[in-house]
Amino acid sequence: MSITKLTTNGIAGAKYDSVSADNYYMEPIATTLVGAGGTATITFSNIPNTYKHLQLRILSRSARTDAADGIALRFNSDSGSNYSWHYLRGDGTSPGAGGSATQTEILLSYDFAANTAGSNIFGIGIVDILDYANVYKYKTVRILAGNDRNGSGAVGLCSGLWMNTAATTTLTLTSYWGANNFLQNSRFSLYGIRG
Amino acid sequence: MAYTYSKLAEVTVGAGGASTITFNNIPQNYTDLVLKLSTRTNTSDASSGQWTYVYFNGTTTNNSTKVLFGSGSTTGSLSGSGSTPYAAYVEPSNFTASTFGNAEIYIPNYVNTNNKSFSVDSVTENNSTGAYSNLSAGLWSNTTSINTVTLTPAAGTFVQYSTAYLYGIRVEL
Repeated sequence: MSITKLTTNGIAGAKYDSVSADNYYMEPIATTLVGAGGTATITFSNIPNTYKHLQLRILSRSARTDAADGIALRFNSDSGSNYSWHYLRGDGTSPGAGGSATQTEILLSYDFAANTAGSNIFGIGIVDILDYANVYKYKTVRILAGNDRNGSGAVGLCSGLWMNTAATTTLTLTSYWGANNFLQNSRFSLYGIRG
Repeated sequence: MAYTYSKLAEVTVGAGGASTITFNNIPQNYTDLVLKLSTRTNTSDASSGQWTYVYFNGTTTNNSTKVLFGSGSTTGSLSGSGSTPYAAYVEPSNFTASTFGNAEIYIPNYVNTNNKSFSVDSVTENNSTGAYSNLSAGLWSNTTSINTVTLTPAAGTFVQYSTAYLYGIRVEL
């Protein structure tokens, strides 16, 4: 593939930017499979800046005493009020939307499974972080996540923002509703997508 | 990992902005196409600066889309067609500075002789209660192979540092 055209509406000096004929692909960076004791925090650190995008794939069930749990995400261990998040969500009955500004973490989704869900039920999520190492941009996260509990559950398209232009080097995941462990066989896999 | 996910091209918008982003001469030897967009416009959502249209092979005819969207407080659905095929959200200028939308457009069987269907999931972000997200299903009612994809903001231009990446997916049977 050789031609990528950036049209600038006839402006003098229009140019082609960042054209590449290289072929790369998606590859795994790291995976955490939660063991029998559970774990409260999942951390991916020392994330290389050699990719263009990151994708995080989640299969999760937590120890929260509820049927569902949220998962919170922080970048680079930043616990300041530098985050916002929003969601578009449906639970089989009615759609809803909401969001919150000036938060200390991103809520990836309300809809991962928790301890009172039917046995062996997990929630799933795919988290895309484009341009994660781009120092000209705050980091915007896109999440598709949900769980079905054989009669209840929900699915959502969610978003999150880290208001910092630093390259992403660390991602930290915890229960949104407090110190609830992720339970055995929960799995968190981080992939890099080259550009 | 198997050689199934290849970057075909990328665009980074320069200081002057860009009224469109076009991928030309797309190779015909993949099964599906994926576009990843991190974009922002110079126009507010009050002037439709939050939408991106997608066109194929340079034509604005025979396009249609169905959209489910959220605004941070409400939900809704709309249809697009012709020269206004609402596809993905793009970050409008009145949202938090230095913030860009995050979108993916998936186009399966782009060289097939059937009509071309595609799906979209996209979000914007904003340090406020309002931000947009959408799921779209689209159709280009044309049996021609796709060799050009054009992305156009509904209003204004893509601003500097906006990026668009085109990937090819090859199914290994």
